[in-house]
Amino acid sequence: MTLEALNYLTAWPEIFLLTMACIVLVVDVFISDDKRDFSYYLSQLALLGTFAMVMMVQVDGREVAFNNMFVQDALSVVLKSFILALSFAAFVYSRDYLKDRNIFKGEYYVLGLFAVLGMMLMVSANNLLMIYLGLELLSLCLYAMVAFNRDNGNASEAAMKYFVLGAIASGMLLYGMSILYGLSGSLFLSDITVAISQADDSRIGMVFALVFILVALAFKLGAVPFHMWVPDVYQGSPTAVTVFIGTAPKLAGFAMIMRLLVEAMGDLQADWQQMLIILSVLSMATGNIIAIAQTNIKRMLAYSTISHVGFILLGILAGSNEAYAAAMFYTISYAVMSLGAFGIIMLLARKGFEAEEIDDFKGLNQRSPWFAFLMLVLMLSMAGVPPTVGFWAKLAVLKMVVQMDMVWLALVAVFFSIIGVFYYLRIIKVMYFDEIADNQPLSCGRDMQITLSSNALLVLALGLYPAGLMSLCLSVFA
Amino acid sequence: MLSVSLSSYLTLAAILFAISIAGIFLNRKNVIVLLMCVELMLLAANINFIAFSHYLNDSAGQVFVFFILTVAAAEAAIGLAILVVLFRNRRSINVDQLNEMKG
Amino acid sequence: MTFIDFNFYLFATLLIVAALGVITARNPVHSALWLVLSFFASSALWILLEAEFLAIALVLVYVGAVMVLFLFVVMMLDINVEQMRKGFVRYLPIGALVALVLAAQMIWIVGPVGPDVLGDESLQQSVRHAADYSNTKELGRILYTEYVLPFEIAAVILLVAIVAAIALTLRRRPATKYQTPANQVKVKRNDRLRIVKMDAEAKE
Repeated sequence: MTLEALNYLTAWPEIFLLTMACIVLVVDVFISDDKRDFSYYLSQLALLGTFAMVMMVQVDGREVAFNNMFVQDALSVVLKSFILALSFAAFVYSRDYLKDRNIFKGEYYVLGLFAVLGMMLMVSANNLLMIYLGLELLSLCLYAMVAFNRDNGNASEAAMKYFVLGAIASGMLLYGMSILYGLSGSLFLSDITVAISQADDSRIGMVFALVFILVALAFKLGAVPFHMWVPDVYQGSPTAVTVFIGTAPKLAGFAMIMRLLVEAMGDLQADWQQMLIILSVLSMATGNIIAIAQTNIKRMLAYSTISHVGFILLGILAGSNEAYAAAMFYTISYAVMSLGAFGIIMLLARKGFEAEEIDDFKGLNQRSPWFAFLMLVLMLSMAGVPPTVGFWAKLAVLKMVVQMDMVWLALVAVFFSIIGVFYYLRIIKVMYFDEIADNQPLSCGRDMQITLSSNALLVLALGLYPAGLMSLCLSVFA
Repeated sequence: MLSVSLSSYLTLAAILFAISIAGIFLNRKNVIVLLMCVELMLLAANINFIAFSHYLNDSAGQVFVFFILTVAAAEAAIGLAILVVLFRNRRSINVDQLNEMKG
Repeated sequence: MTFIDFNFYLFATLLIVAALGVITARNPVHSALWLVLSFFASSALWILLEAEFLAIALVLVYVGAVMVLFLFVVMMLDINVEQMRKGFVRYLPIGALVALVLAAQMIWIVGPVGPDVLGDESLQQSVRHAADYSNTKELGRILYTEYVLPFEIAAVILLVAIVAAIALTLRRRPATKYQTPANQVKVKRNDRLRIVKMDAEAKE
């Protein structure tokens, strides 16, 4: 076998990112604490460079590399570029936050870059082994990042819960994969597709494997009843890590569902559709109802994530190419919204103070009308109020569900979204109509101001012109 | 029934998997034993992979197990590091006392 | 019953007993030791399946490194065993019930009774390789060719484990005194030694 036969140039962005991550790791060891910014700039450079390379990838149809292990197609290119952009913004937001807490260390960026690499590999996986390894690379980095603030008891408690439940989910995933491998005789997704379409006696065994894989996916995405870790991890981690966990990994999770359920086990759609309906209804119900009772905004956003995951699953279970595009539109717009919301939380936090309670948002309009307006846009978008992108995302998914003749399911989704509007509006009410509680002026760097503003305005802009992103998503599944 | 076939190995792995699930139920207070139960779960998956690999005469399953062993070693290292950090902060690894966050 | 069958039943029984030991032992140290036994038993089963390399790797890597790490942590942390056991008896019936139902369902699918999932003829034959077949060689051959990308990722995962474990647990205590060999080497006689000229004094 020759090196050319590997077609390794297809994976050029990943190779570049890995090299840069190793450079950051080594450089960081040799610089003193007051020059730590250099590691930050180097990491951002790595993400930008990788982004540029992903953009330069020309894909017609699909291209495989490394003996069919790695696939570059329209889905992977679009998702990778969003993963890189979201991680870039998350790094921008977290710099001051980390500095104020004396955890501004190179390891945060090294682990972050490796996590991004894991997500990119997951998105491009063409083999069960690659899905598993990409997922583990991502998860191991995230476990460590959650515990990153070593002197904080809540953070290490959250990390422990995340780790144990994540490890159990990996065990489930592997058991399911082992059965799938045995019955189809191959680890490649395309061979599994063929094997399932020809299966007769062994079909029930495939469904058996599907159950384990679906439980693992639900764990990793945080769908009810496998959501126990989500609130604790969102609340306990440093916000700089929550913003990272709450955004880009959702896209990687979406890709994992597409590769495993749709690509490999598409013929079992009738079976996974039923299971996804249960997960999705439970997630929307639990997420939206429990979120109302929360006083901690990070915990509230965690329950909101659970309900949004329910909506994403709704799009996937509708099971047509257009529905997958709608689910992808939802996932991307949700990730952008939640990035902005956690950005605002970090903006309000300062040295020795975490703006974690909803009460900390009291009178934000008087302190800074501009940032209050940005938060208003983000909350309206999460609630699904026009003219924000959240509205179009919900509408697209619901349209697909109705097209599948599951009107009752669409009504259930609408019902729970209306309940959900309540807690988002509460934040808006607190910001605009409550007496100011905290008079400290808001301060942040110019880079954060620009990124945060463009983040929230993007939510508004996509709401006014949703056609661009929508046609991008549709072109992926065309 | 007595002569060993593929389904004997699969049955053994299924029993092992069920034992590990029971262990997770029973030892929910003790994080260390929980991690050991996860190792048992991985062992069940590994036995499946190797048995299938042998009966399919295909090495891919064995390669998968090779990677599972690698990843599990890395996972154990990180998990135990988190455990040590947790113990330093809380002076306990009792799951009962891990309830600072609620809601 | 052939010799292989006999060995399968012997080590399978040992494996199940050891696994039950892991989940029921009072002391986490005993759990860890039971886990070591279950790894040994499954490594014997893997040898029956002609996966010699992995059987050895399981003993060397798992028992030799991972389990030692477990034992190390268990003994380093001062754990209150009695408190940990609370609720064990209360959850025993439900845990046992869940396990039995789960095992019954799983065995029904993959086991010898129930639907014929493994109907494929090719899955019925145990493949015995010739005596000169080298399992290690075969694995090595495909690991560095077909599986070169996963191999690289596994390397990255191990690197992440190193970085994470060090980032989480390495503590520099401010009070600790360090030696600086460079300064020790550079030191001149005059920095340390001062010769004082003084007159001899009479003994009192």
